[in-house]
Amino acid sequence: MIPLPFYLLLAAALFCIGLFGALARRNAIAILMGIELMLNAVNINLIAFWRYIQPAAPTWDLAGQIFALFVITLAAAEAAIALALVIAIYRSRDTVNVEEVDLMKW
Amino acid sequence: MVPFALSLLVLLPLVGAAIVLLIPKGQKSDSLIKWFAVVWSVIPLLLASYLWFVLFDPNASKMQFEEAYLWISSINVRYHVGVDGLSMPLVWLTTLLTVLGLFYSSYVIHERAREFFFMFLLLETGMIGVFVSLDFFLFYVFWELGLVPMYFLIAIWGHAEDRPQYSAIKFFLYTLVGSVLMLLAIIAMYINTSTATTPGTFDLIELATKRPFANDFVFASLAFWGIFLAFAIKVPLFPFHTWLPDAHTAAPTAGSVILAGILLKLGTYGFVRVLVPIFPQVFQANVLPIAILATISIVYGALVAMAQTDFKRLIAYSSVNHMGYVILGVAAAVAIGGANLTDRAIALNGAMLQMFNHGVITGALFFIVGILYERAHTRDLKSFGGLGAKTPVYGAILLTASFASLGLPGLAGFISEFMVFRGAFATLPLIATICVLGIVFGAAMMLWKVIQNVLLGVFDEKRWAEQEKHGVKLYDMTRFEVITLAPLLFLMVLIGVYPSVILNTLNTISVAILGQIVK
Amino acid sequence: MSLSVPDLNLRIIAPVLIVAISALVVLLGELVTSSAQKRGLGYASLVGLLAAGGAAMGLWDAHAVAFREMVRADNFGVFLTLTILAGAVLCILLSFDFTRAHRIETGEYYALILFSVTGMLLMVTAADLIIIFLALELLSLPLYILAAFKREDERSLEAGLKYFLLGAFSSAFFLYGIALVYGATGTTNLARIAASAPSEMLLIGAGLLLVGFAFKVALVPFHWWTPDVYEGAPTTITAFMSVAVKAAAFGAFLRAFLVALPALAMDWRVVLAIIAVLTMTLGNVAALLQANIKRMLAYSSIAHAGYILIALVAMGGAGVSAALFYLLAYTLTNLGAFGAVIALGEGERERLNVSDYGGLARMQPLLAAMLTVFMLSLAGFPPFAGFVGKFLIFGAAVQNGWAWLAVVGVLNSLVSVYFYLRPVVAMYMSEPVEGWGAPRVAPLVALALVLALIGVIALGVFPAPAIALAAGGLGR
Repeated sequence: MIPLPFYLLLAAALFCIGLFGALARRNAIAILMGIELMLNAVNINLIAFWRYIQPAAPTWDLAGQIFALFVITLAAAEAAIALALVIAIYRSRDTVNVEEVDLMKW
Repeated sequence: MVPFALSLLVLLPLVGAAIVLLIPKGQKSDSLIKWFAVVWSVIPLLLASYLWFVLFDPNASKMQFEEAYLWISSINVRYHVGVDGLSMPLVWLTTLLTVLGLFYSSYVIHERAREFFFMFLLLETGMIGVFVSLDFFLFYVFWELGLVPMYFLIAIWGHAEDRPQYSAIKFFLYTLVGSVLMLLAIIAMYINTSTATTPGTFDLIELATKRPFANDFVFASLAFWGIFLAFAIKVPLFPFHTWLPDAHTAAPTAGSVILAGILLKLGTYGFVRVLVPIFPQVFQANVLPIAILATISIVYGALVAMAQTDFKRLIAYSSVNHMGYVILGVAAAVAIGGANLTDRAIALNGAMLQMFNHGVITGALFFIVGILYERAHTRDLKSFGGLGAKTPVYGAILLTASFASLGLPGLAGFISEFMVFRGAFATLPLIATICVLGIVFGAAMMLWKVIQNVLLGVFDEKRWAEQEKHGVKLYDMTRFEVITLAPLLFLMVLIGVYPSVILNTLNTISVAILGQIVK
Repeated sequence: MSLSVPDLNLRIIAPVLIVAISALVVLLGELVTSSAQKRGLGYASLVGLLAAGGAAMGLWDAHAVAFREMVRADNFGVFLTLTILAGAVLCILLSFDFTRAHRIETGEYYALILFSVTGMLLMVTAADLIIIFLALELLSLPLYILAAFKREDERSLEAGLKYFLLGAFSSAFFLYGIALVYGATGTTNLARIAASAPSEMLLIGAGLLLVGFAFKVALVPFHWWTPDVYEGAPTTITAFMSVAVKAAAFGAFLRAFLVALPALAMDWRVVLAIIAVLTMTLGNVAALLQANIKRMLAYSSIAHAGYILIALVAMGGAGVSAALFYLLAYTLTNLGAFGAVIALGEGERERLNVSDYGGLARMQPLLAAMLTVFMLSLAGFPPFAGFVGKFLIFGAAVQNGWAWLAVVGVLNSLVSVYFYLRPVVAMYMSEPVEGWGAPRVAPLVALALVLALIGVIALGVFPAPAIALAAGGLGR
């Protein structure tokens, strides 16, 4: 069996890649993709922890798994809202570059 | 017996302020508001007079007309009010000066009368509240409550050429700096007096017996200096006095009167009510620096006053000088030394009487300056001269008030200053000697700068004839102005020739306070 | 394999359910109402919120857990529930005429507010990190849309996008934190986390949780979305966000750190104390520089988050009750202040610059006086609610040995006086500005303002009952 740290490292790496994407990209959609990657990295963590930390837990305790399912659902909801916002911005500004969405000073 | 007498005294102005807001708008609403506010403000004065002259027992050292109710149970805050010989005269003076201020303002305030009279009555509530509060939390609430209306009075109705908004915010922030430090000290004292089973206390009487931080001199000093700063700024003691000349110059006449007459007393009142009974050891340990600050205030205040060419600024600096005597008296009363209780009590009596006298005298002087300014539209001392002959009534009143201010025997100022020095020579002889200089300078500034410049000399006919074309006319005092000043002049003479009317009351309480702290 | 039936005690989450159902009803109502009838949907939302308030009061002293200890009805939660509901009610009262003037009067507007409230109520009753996370998202997602609700206004859209990107970004951190806490302790239940031994992974997880909370309540250095989002969002939504989100997020923040992580208190208290200092100082100093009143109130809300953080650092019963009282006081005061800004608008134009407030004292003396009271309360002047709140917080700090933090807080509130007075100075001492008529205040807006005013004064003059209610309700 692959030891737990491997999963954790993979998750951390994915999280960092997502983080980099969210910070470095200027396209709103790309930022969103970065964020999704971060969420999914956490999912790997949750499942791995559930499998390794809790082998002795009662069978009904599926916290890690269930949580991952929740996160997947949530990511879908987030994506829907994000895309709606991006479309609305695109209609009024003809751009989805966040550096050009700067009517207000950061 | 009047039930809830002190609560009534606190609430009446507030109710009046609310009614002022409710008076319907109309052509005559301004005169209605003025008429109402003046008449209404007489009620607290009558009540306070009745309380002081009829019901108040001058020989009782305990609190009178006490009321105490639990207010915020979880932190043991009580609505606890009461007066003793220290606060009763100041409460009365507050109601008197408010009546006079409102009466005078009803003739000279033409703009935004509703707001002016509203703020003024609100201010009265705050001031009376501070004097009657026996709970430190309540004290703080009223302390802050008085700040806001005074800020507006200076900022809105101040003289446009004297940067009223700047002066107002300066006054506001200076006072606030002090009061937030006081707030922390209040919290610290509360927590220090609490134990595992009983909550702490904000009660000033209880704090004076419990003596928070009695075994921890460092924390006691921190708390002491926090509260000291709040009061010293208000007094104002050198070097925290710089807000005062600005605020005074900018403020409307009645605002200046209240500021000098009452608000400054809040600081010295705090010294006697809070610092002396609650932190006697720390106070005694620090008497010398405090007395030195008082000395600087006295001498420096008089010297700077002498250098002024602006009449109102001169009076403002003279307040720094006069309030210095109060602090000197308090310091002398608690100083460590061989002096007996009588000497100390005399010093404290002098300090307390000086508070009252300064309210009367400087209040009158600010009215006098304001009256001149209304006519001449200038306060430059050099531009006057010969007014003694031109406007004899004005001259006589100014002369009386100035003499009272410089401490001429027979008038109020002499008694209190004499007593302060009488006490101070016993405990702080060197400092008292230096402070005598202040008396000399004070006399010089009044005689040389005020009386000589304004009353004596030659009336510049040509200049004022020229000015008259611009609607500036120097005429003698009108009836309403004389009425405004008459009670104050009466008090100056009364206390000057027969100080026992008030001294008995003061003496009872100063003996009681000092008996607690001096073995 | 046996399947145990969880304890489905619906009463415990009755307020949440009622608000959720009202949200659905309002959303469906949108389909069957004409544009003239949208107002009715607002009234329906009010009814739902009030009913939820009634249900919440029924939970007072219930001290119950349900759903396998995932939610907990304690007085702490009920107090915050009522605070949030009060905020929502005031916000909806302010919304009726605002949405009409700004042409965003739709059922979705109310429904989204209700959904967000659902998330908030769930958040303050949650006793499990999973629920806290879900509630956090449930409260955030509708707000992203609401911030961008004025679709033809580019600023509003920009606010929505920025809020979304930073919000989603921070939730990822929050989620990572939960995962690490789960990995370190094998549970997501707050009480059981507290029972397990501290470890490095738990510490890192706690740090990431802190980041997530810091974003939501706008703590330095995770605050920079606040001014832009507050400025761009419709003012009613800004008002709602500034108070209700804070109450909900601080509720979960307090619960998570005080219930689940007291063992690490040595570590996080110092960090939070430093953050509190930075947050208060930066919030107040930045607010000094703002000319736009919405931005000023945004920075002021950052500063207030700093004050509340002091209460968390102080810990103990005094800290918790101070934080709760402060949140209630802040909710009423800040909604009052925003309400006055809303009331002063003219059609779609709003008085956003401090200079626009010139001469209002003469045109609208009552409104000017109200705004003055709210500003003084925000600045912490007696006898208003804000003063008592600050007093309790600084008292809790001194009591628990954080006197220096109280000193910093006090000095900060001193700085804040200056900018809170600026609109007041403009109203009372400046001349009216060209192009603005005397404002007309709609009755419902006036009602909201009067309610807030009564609350601010009552909490300031008679704080004892509220303090008693706020005390000692955090169930473990």
